[in-house]
Amino acid sequence: MRYRLPATAAALTLGLAAGLTGCGSTSQPQASGSASPTTLTVWFMRDSLSDGVVDRFRTDFQTAHPGVRLDIQIQEWDGIGQKVTSALASKDAPDVIEVGNTQVAEYASSGGVRDLTDKVADLGGSDWLPGLAEPGKIDGHQYGIPWYAANRVVIYNKDLFAKAGIDAPPKTRDEWIEDTAKLDKGGVQGIYLPGQNWYTLAGFVWDEGGDLAVKEGDRWRGALDTPQAVAGIEFYRRLQALGKGPKDSDEAKPPQADVFGKGDVAQLISAPGGAAAIEKANPALKGKLGFFPIPGKTADRPGAVFTGGSDLIIPEASRHPDEAYEVVKALAGEKFQTDMAKEMSYVPNRTSFASVLSGNEATAAMAAGAANGHATPNSANWAAVEAKNVIKEYMTTVLTGGDPATEGKAASDVITAILNTKS
Amino acid sequence: MRRVTLNLAALAVLVVSVFPVYWMAATAFTPTVDILSETPSLWPARPTLDHFATAVRAAGFWAFWRNSLTVTVSAVLLALAVALLAAFAVARMRWRGRRGFILMVFVAQTAPWSALLVPVYIIARDADMLDRLSTLTLVYFVTTLPFTIVTLRGFIAAIPPELEEAALMDGCGRAAAFRRVVLPLLAPGLMSTSLFGFITAWNEFAFANALIIKDQGDRTLPIWLSTFSNVFGTDWGATMAAATLFMLPVLLVFLVLQRRVTSGMIAGAVKG
Amino acid sequence: MVSTESRPAGARERLAAPPRAAGPRPRRTAARRAAGALWPYLLVAPAVAGFACLLVYPFARSLVISVQHFRLGELIRGGAEFVGLANYAEVLGGPEFWSVVRRTFVWTAVNVALIMLIGTGVALMLPHLGRRMRLAVMSGMVLTWATPVLAATTIFQWLFQSRLGVVNWLLVRLGLGSFEDYTWFADGTATFAILVALVVWQSVPFAALTLYAGLTTIPAELYEAARIDGASARQVFARVTFPILRPLFGLITSLEIIWVFTCFAQIWAISRGGPDDATTTLPVHAFLIAQSLHKYDLGSAVSTLTVLILLAVLVVHLRRMFRHEGEQA
Repeated sequence: MRYRLPATAAALTLGLAAGLTGCGSTSQPQASGSASPTTLTVWFMRDSLSDGVVDRFRTDFQTAHPGVRLDIQIQEWDGIGQKVTSALASKDAPDVIEVGNTQVAEYASSGGVRDLTDKVADLGGSDWLPGLAEPGKIDGHQYGIPWYAANRVVIYNKDLFAKAGIDAPPKTRDEWIEDTAKLDKGGVQGIYLPGQNWYTLAGFVWDEGGDLAVKEGDRWRGALDTPQAVAGIEFYRRLQALGKGPKDSDEAKPPQADVFGKGDVAQLISAPGGAAAIEKANPALKGKLGFFPIPGKTADRPGAVFTGGSDLIIPEASRHPDEAYEVVKALAGEKFQTDMAKEMSYVPNRTSFASVLSGNEATAAMAAGAANGHATPNSANWAAVEAKNVIKEYMTTVLTGGDPATEGKAASDVITAILNTKS
Repeated sequence: MRRVTLNLAALAVLVVSVFPVYWMAATAFTPTVDILSETPSLWPARPTLDHFATAVRAAGFWAFWRNSLTVTVSAVLLALAVALLAAFAVARMRWRGRRGFILMVFVAQTAPWSALLVPVYIIARDADMLDRLSTLTLVYFVTTLPFTIVTLRGFIAAIPPELEEAALMDGCGRAAAFRRVVLPLLAPGLMSTSLFGFITAWNEFAFANALIIKDQGDRTLPIWLSTFSNVFGTDWGATMAAATLFMLPVLLVFLVLQRRVTSGMIAGAVKG
Repeated sequence: MVSTESRPAGARERLAAPPRAAGPRPRRTAARRAAGALWPYLLVAPAVAGFACLLVYPFARSLVISVQHFRLGELIRGGAEFVGLANYAEVLGGPEFWSVVRRTFVWTAVNVALIMLIGTGVALMLPHLGRRMRLAVMSGMVLTWATPVLAATTIFQWLFQSRLGVVNWLLVRLGLGSFEDYTWFADGTATFAILVALVVWQSVPFAALTLYAGLTTIPAELYEAARIDGASARQVFARVTFPILRPLFGLITSLEIIWVFTCFAQIWAISRGGPDDATTTLPVHAFLIAQSLHKYDLGSAVSTLTVLILLAVLVVHLRRMFRHEGEQA
């Protein structure tokens, strides 16, 4: 109550502003009266879905729910933590938000997200992908609803492979390095691997038997200084050198699909959906893209991959929780999941939907890799590790000549400190 | 010999100050293929407007442009009006607390705005003022107020009080004297002072990002620019075109008003 | 914020002295005088109200947060607990804060020194240039000055790109082969240097143009007189130019100190304080703690300390200004 007075004063000043300039405050389009529909605000992340999928969903949903209109907004990954936090803490939040599966735990534990435990059965939660369901669950309560998953594969340029005389994709790391070195000649880059693709590095570390951080009793410890992690980044360094990927940047800067689209890059590590972006950048590459799982140390087991993906949450501050649930239900339901999986080459949220992926080269490669899927350390503080770019900076330092053990120790200390913070 | 050295130095200053801006514009006109080539060409040999088209066609460009202009102009006008009154009191009147007020204005300039983000967010939320351009307007108003007061005070101090006194002698009231004598002389100063406010408000990103949450249509240009430079994965051509478009209004205002700003600063510093 | 209790002992006589200049006419009645005495307060009231609501009040809230346990949960649910000075103890007890403070001082010193040196140099150079060259240089300055911060940061990121950036290309062309694909933003010192270049590039025009305008107000006779006395160029600067422009130098320097010290947008946009915290200054540190780690309480504590440090740095100037105000009519 104490802040009422200044607030009133602020409002008065506001009136002054409006009077002086003739520019009143822009009022929000508020639903008033029974005739006008309820507008739900839904946040999806940049590049999560193609425009086509979004448009079809909007049309379908609005047809099925005549009283509801969807305002679907695309959010940028950059600074998303701050944005979602502001939204959760506000009094009038968006009604449904897509959050990455590495970040959902933090929001779920904040108290600003609606508990949907009693809806799990209704949503068919018995065969949800664990990589999406687990992070959305805190102390037995389900806050995040699994939405879609994807893991990385190698996308390659068939023409360049043929030109280099490689007729079958590599099955082991050694073959992979050998083939890539063979490809990396003349004007061709063997592989375009930016220095900060940390999900790929995580895979290499897992292959060695290491991890990004480990939990010992109650405490977390950063693990980038272990021999396994050192071996992982050594392999990353060898691979990265077989192309011209910038050492100080990630796959978004510049967009790696655009780089690949120029036609002189033989391989790229990306979710299969990245192929669509490549074909958009250079339609001439249509039909010339191949896919294979990231090779492991031996031929019988593909390389470890990070199971990426997203969950859906409904903020406590949503003003239309019931309608919001309808949206979540539709997004997590079979019709949308099937459409999305086909168009985006994603893994659907339930294993029983997985059959839609059969017969697709890209998703077959992804499914093969998914057998060896891993998750980032399950801590509400992990999002802060990502936000501080600890691993990305560590990678750049090592790739530009830093000692892997020393730098790994420094980065591990930072990770340890962040993960053991009480919130 | 001295001439040559002098002119070389001047040339160096000129090149250093102009090149980055030139490079922005040049990149904006260069086709993507050439931007991605290994040897940059210093001149867009095959100029294209594609990047500008991309930038302008990006969702909501015109709405964001209008929002930015509305917020910026409102904030600047409000700051000018409030600062004018205060500056007059400081420059022309003697009163108890005057020095305290001046000190407050100066201290206000040291405010760490990035740190006030959270409290301002909480206050706005509790007052139901999130998602409103008017909240941004108020924040920008206060951000620019201290500097506006300092500068305007200099301008007022530069106008001889005798002119005003003469008008008072002629039977004008104080307000009339101010309106008829001081205000006309002050007009250029007012315009130029508004520049600083204009730039500050035009640029602001953090508050715009935190206080406009749900209402996508209420975003401002800096937010839009950041989506280009940070997330689109840096399509450099379009980003530079966007930066050019972002800079243009400021540049235009600046070219017209620049000279008067500096003279105002002198008055402020020398006359007190 | 910090209000009038820092008033030096000499606040004294001047305030009590009868108003002069444009003050009330002697022939006014007592009643009118009383009404007139209210005027200044009415005139500053809106400004004071603005500061109170939108600066002092948020700052007070920030102070309150800094003595609470205030994290993500408290932001969303409310109900923060009072913890006394625990947050300050945590901040001041860690080694990180002090290294950030040290870095902030280096950052401020390097930038302000460069800005003032180059700014003064350009200002002194301008009058000696030909008309056209002067106009060209001044236009260039204005162009730089008018570049919005966000546009400028974007431009600098583009200039220093490792793969396609024109700076690396130029350096390689000049025979510095080691700059082939050099990753500027991976190295702490290099990133720091780029940020200094950016801030100096953006700030020199204000200093240079203002000083130049100040130079033009100095009567030519003073220079003549000094030259007849046989003073060298350096002596002319030390004996004539600098003493006359001293208040202007003082004002510009303190404004630059404030601007550089509190500079946030440039650093955040380019490096987020990285790599390896090499560009984390106090405002960036506070923002990182609050926004990335959601420790709003510690962030607020850092902000409070930031303001105190900045005021301590400026205290000499503030005192001088305060005294100066008293002496003036």
